[in-house]
Amino acid sequence: MNITTASFAAFMLIVILGYRLLSARFRNIWLFVACLGFLITWSWEFVGILLILGTVNYILGRWIGEAKEGRKRILWIGIAFNVFTLLIFKYSDFYLPELTSFLARIGIEKGGGGIQLLMPIGLSFTTVQLISYLADIHNRIVLPEKRWLKFILYILYFPKLLSGPIERARVFLPKLDQPQPLSAESIARNFTLMVIGLTRKLLFADVLNALIPSAAFVQPLTYSAQLLLTWLLAYAFVIYNDFAGYTNIARGVSGLLGIELSSNFNTPYFSRSIAEFWERWHISLSNWLRDYIFFPLSRLLRKKFPHPDHIINFILPPLVTMLVSGMWHGLAFSLLLWGGLHGAYLIVERIPTLFAPKVLMDERPKWRQAMATLFTFSLVLLAWLPFRMDPVTAKRYFAGIILPSHWLKPDFLWMSEVFKGHLPVGDVYGWNIPDPRIFLVLLPAILLDWTQFRHKNELIFLKWPRWAQAALLALVTLGLFLASFADSAAPFVYQGF
Amino acid sequence: MANVKFSNRDVIESSAKKHPIGFGYTLLQAFAFLVVFIALLEGIARISFISNLLPYQSLGSWHYQFDLKWFRLKQYVANNGGVDVILLGNSLVDTGFDPDVVTQTYYEKTGLQLRVFNFGIDGLTVYPSSINAKLLVETYHPALLIFVTEMRDYDATNGIRTEEKLLSDTWMQYQLGYFNPRGWIIAHSVALQHFLPYRNWMRADFPSTFAACLQTYHTTSLTGYEPDNGVMKEVVAPDPNNLAGNPYFDSNQPYQVDPSRLESLQSILDLARDNGPQIVVVEMPVHPVFFEYAGGETVHKAFQEKIAETVRAGGGIFLPAIDEVTIPLQGRSNLTHLNRRGAPILSAYLGGQLAALTNQEGMMFVNKQKGDSQP
Repeated sequence: MNITTASFAAFMLIVILGYRLLSARFRNIWLFVACLGFLITWSWEFVGILLILGTVNYILGRWIGEAKEGRKRILWIGIAFNVFTLLIFKYSDFYLPELTSFLARIGIEKGGGGIQLLMPIGLSFTTVQLISYLADIHNRIVLPEKRWLKFILYILYFPKLLSGPIERARVFLPKLDQPQPLSAESIARNFTLMVIGLTRKLLFADVLNALIPSAAFVQPLTYSAQLLLTWLLAYAFVIYNDFAGYTNIARGVSGLLGIELSSNFNTPYFSRSIAEFWERWHISLSNWLRDYIFFPLSRLLRKKFPHPDHIINFILPPLVTMLVSGMWHGLAFSLLLWGGLHGAYLIVERIPTLFAPKVLMDERPKWRQAMATLFTFSLVLLAWLPFRMDPVTAKRYFAGIILPSHWLKPDFLWMSEVFKGHLPVGDVYGWNIPDPRIFLVLLPAILLDWTQFRHKNELIFLKWPRWAQAALLALVTLGLFLASFADSAAPFVYQGF
Repeated sequence: MANVKFSNRDVIESSAKKHPIGFGYTLLQAFAFLVVFIALLEGIARISFISNLLPYQSLGSWHYQFDLKWFRLKQYVANNGGVDVILLGNSLVDTGFDPDVVTQTYYEKTGLQLRVFNFGIDGLTVYPSSINAKLLVETYHPALLIFVTEMRDYDATNGIRTEEKLLSDTWMQYQLGYFNPRGWIIAHSVALQHFLPYRNWMRADFPSTFAACLQTYHTTSLTGYEPDNGVMKEVVAPDPNNLAGNPYFDSNQPYQVDPSRLESLQSILDLARDNGPQIVVVEMPVHPVFFEYAGGETVHKAFQEKIAETVRAGGGIFLPAIDEVTIPLQGRSNLTHLNRRGAPILSAYLGGQLAALTNQEGMMFVNKQKGDSQP
């Protein structure tokens, strides 16, 4: 069940109504049933896998919490179990062909179709949540949850199941016992969040995604530089609006249940440095990486190399953290490259602080802040290349943009002949004119972010006069309605992770 | 990295506190705005001056040619007060029959004026054609329905995707009696019908596909005929020992008439009941080499007999394909389709056959009163 569909809206309404009408004793049972129902619409096998995963971690959590000795060993067993589960499912492409051929050689596998494993939805998100849960119990930050049902809800909770946000148990679990009451204010906030989410996903991300020809990321050198740059720009807004859109919808749905989820995005493309970008992009994952990779690794290294500016302390923590981030997205060289690039950005960005005291960005002139924003965005844009395609194609794409010979003169004559009806439309990319439809969509997408960024408030629309809110809502509803007639809808990009 | 603060610094404040009450009122106001927007758009779309400026309407169907023909027929009926004869079938019909020639020939031989429309749609086999036939008869009440057929209509493996896509469209489902809100809105909103040709505006290939739709729109005549400019250069006969890659039939099994498809033909014939239209089934005169791909002339003859028998039993009239020498090679664009040279020959033949049925059998195809076939 995709969360942008009418069937999900109906499901959500039933769940919220039931949750709000039931007494506190039965609410979590109702939520559990709803989560199972949601999960079964994807695959009943997922229910079994996630229940087993959750139960094992529930037992491990209690074991760590009650153990007098060997707590660290149990923690490592738990981490290994979770990572192993993730590896089994997520990276099956790497080992299954070998395993199948080995089994065929010894005569066990004769089907011919090979072994196939379907990764449970949201497993990457679930795994990191479980690791943090066990680590937090070990570090005595949180007590192990005694109620199995409540703990399982931490794993199966349907608004965050598909693509997060990655919630900490210590923050999420108490909310299950004390959901916020439904008020006019919370309805307004969460409804607005959902509308913004749907707008981001259906009016920005899906539309921009459809405007990029599939061949662009396969054979980039067949297009001129200006087209490649436009499509890369469009892709940057596809991935952002797709994921941010999902998060907004998830937060809105959860908010109506009275369980607030963390914000995952904060206008990241207005960041003035890569460090700031990671404070604004996929915040829940960034925080997880900081707390469970960056800080522990930094502490470990500082024991061996006490000087904070030692080259090892300087390079390894950000690089390893970002490489882990890349691996979390998938075990592909291109994703490692994406993570490595961001790691390198962070390291290089810090070099000036070795020689001069750091000047806060807010204290710098506005024009320098604007330049820094533009520069940071360019670096992020560049890094999306290996995120989207294999390294060889990414290299070609980069060459296609950077080489002056690929900047071809727009063929207005050809275009005008087509408009006059003298020539068939044929290959419009041969005109070498960036697709104006992309800019038509980018403009409102940027405007939305700019409005939120300028006011430091993602729900700024609720401060508008009532008639303006109503008019905007009516327009967005009409836009969503019309967009629903397009022949296909794209799945969420991060659902694949 | 040490200076990286991963904290969510710009914590997003809740601004909804400014409006602790009245969000429901905002929703109501938004709904009112929406109603006003829609009413305005609908009003504007229904102004004929504006409507004429917009290229064409659509039903959001997967098959844009179906939409095009549906609205063209609607326009035809509005302009002519009704329709007497509807030609039905696949692309062979679309490019093979010029209704103006049929009308002219029929008029010359009977002195009667027929109103003929070509509803041939690319890729349609007998099953979706039977659904179309039902819709057209219920909506326009023609006096005669001519179903033009050929061997592939009854091949169980042919045209399945087109069939599934076309028949699962929301508007089609609504028309077939399965109520759904989207189908209802498409059927009743002129503004939406004007928007739907652009519904895929965000697709990378939209400029070329839209241009192709526009071209079809402009080349299709007001009577639904789409001339084909292609000319068949040479006839390539298949290697009887190697039919792999057969472009027309499934080469893995011998050709046979699928019983369920024959039932679809029967359902077309059944439309004649209860004062329905007369049904004529015409076999399309494809090039004889085409039959070699199906297994040879014997297989064709068996097919022809089966269809003729079904049509006769169903109370219809079957007109077998005219002799292939009647249509020269220059009148074909390939083994199956006729081009703008061949179509008038076949159309004149059909007009003549209809005239013969009127003159010799006393069959009348003109709706008795003008406007009878108005929807």
